[in-house]
Amino acid sequence: MPTRRSLFAVVATITLVAAAPALAQDKSIVVASTTSTQDSGLFGHILPLFKAKTGIAVKVVAQGTGQALDTGRRGDADVLFVHAKAQEEKFVADGFGVKRYPVMYNDFVLIGPKSDPAGIKGMTDVAEALKAIKSKGAPFISRGDRSGTHIAELDLWKAAGIDIGKEKGPWYKEIGQGMGAALNTASAANAYVLADRGTWLSFKNRGDLDILVAGDKHLFNQYGVMLVNPEKHPHVKKALGQAFIDWLVSPEGQKAITDYKINGQELFFPNANAPGA
Amino acid sequence: MRAPVTDLPIVLDDVSFSAGGVTILEHISLALVAGSPTVLIGPNGAGKTTLLRLVMGLIPPARGRVTWGGREQAASTHRAIVFQRPTMLRRSAAGNVRYALAAAGVPRARRAAHALELCALVGLTGLERRPARKLSGGEQQRLALARALAKEPQILLLDEPTASLDPAATKAIEDVIRKVAASGIKVVMSTHDLGEAKRLAGEIVLVHRGRVIERGPAESFFSAPKTEEARRFITGELLV
Repeated sequence: MPTRRSLFAVVATITLVAAAPALAQDKSIVVASTTSTQDSGLFGHILPLFKAKTGIAVKVVAQGTGQALDTGRRGDADVLFVHAKAQEEKFVADGFGVKRYPVMYNDFVLIGPKSDPAGIKGMTDVAEALKAIKSKGAPFISRGDRSGTHIAELDLWKAAGIDIGKEKGPWYKEIGQGMGAALNTASAANAYVLADRGTWLSFKNRGDLDILVAGDKHLFNQYGVMLVNPEKHPHVKKALGQAFIDWLVSPEGQKAITDYKINGQELFFPNANAPGA
Repeated sequence: MRAPVTDLPIVLDDVSFSAGGVTILEHISLALVAGSPTVLIGPNGAGKTTLLRLVMGLIPPARGRVTWGGREQAASTHRAIVFQRPTMLRRSAAGNVRYALAAAGVPRARRAAHALELCALVGLTGLERRPARKLSGGEQQRLALARALAKEPQILLLDEPTASLDPAATKAIEDVIRKVAASGIKVVMSTHDLGEAKRLAGEIVLVHRGRVIERGPAESFFSAPKTEEARRFITGELLV
């Protein structure tokens, strides 16, 4: 006759066996990231490699950096992968993130029509280029979405001595959308736009646009990754999220980033070990 | 001085729309900017009308985002749409326009004179008192344009504005569209008439099976199309 103890053991075993597929199925994390990592095709390249290695699926919520950080503060993501170092460091300092790891960098480029009404082609000082655009009232498209690129754009206007919030005119259009949409709009409007080189290289609808200004050190664009703090949000998948971060900064992850190319051109440059990155 | 609110550019980012389990539009990424008319072309059933409805904000996308002047929630104050078979109110032609002016918040004292101006703009001088339902198809279409213009829109959306009209009526409508576009209003219209597209478009967007196949300046679209579908459509082949 089965005892109460043996019956309990059987029920417990059945419960564990029934739950095992559900637990195994839940090997996934949510990463809130910028649109550039998605639109450039980088995630399409590296995430399958990560899943093949670890069995962990990554669900990406592609937003601007500002929105991604808000998502992290609410605990609606496990990991953030963004590009605004000062804001990332504040995110950690405020207790929302565990630790910031540098991952890779690329650069921004100032795109514009080949007709170049502001005459900025070939300039090496992006601040001077922006002054010329404003002075001519040449059409400029801003993402206007609190993304890392938008924040970088605002910083560049500031470096040019321009308070763009007060000094913008009808020539300056904020679209509140991601990089692909901003490039589409600039293409349709034959306008200038600041873009990350990665998204530009994979962008097909170029119209009459081309890179006009590049190489200024102020256009350098550093990406960082952080685990959302499980002490603030206990449901964060700490182990799986950290596994993703550890892989990104590992030699294997860094190589995956380097290996992603469009037309033979590398888009993102891994620098997890660069001091001060 | 604060910049006036504008709905432009209208940006669709990876927009999809389905109805009744049928995908009508998918992966639409498009920006509509100030300037010359944008003309949507493509076979019947391509999704052009649905695309116009999305641009107007009448229907939300199932996926993706639409923004108007950078805003995701933008009242349609600055946009107007005219559908293929506009409904006429049981009033005179001028009465229809006065109704639209009232809806647009124009003071009563100004409506009568403004209605006459709009009737004149669309070539309905002399027909102001005629019952709208007794106007010809082309005249009703022009009246619908006058009603839309009562809103002083920044963007005017037209769904097949000359479908089933005779050549004289078509020319009258196209003349109005040119006047409207020249006044600075952004015109976005659909047509399956390639000749009309050539006559009116600054930019062409070819829609087929719910996707944007090709877009670009009208001149280069017609002289050097980039896609096979565009080449076939331009030469009059049926796109199935």
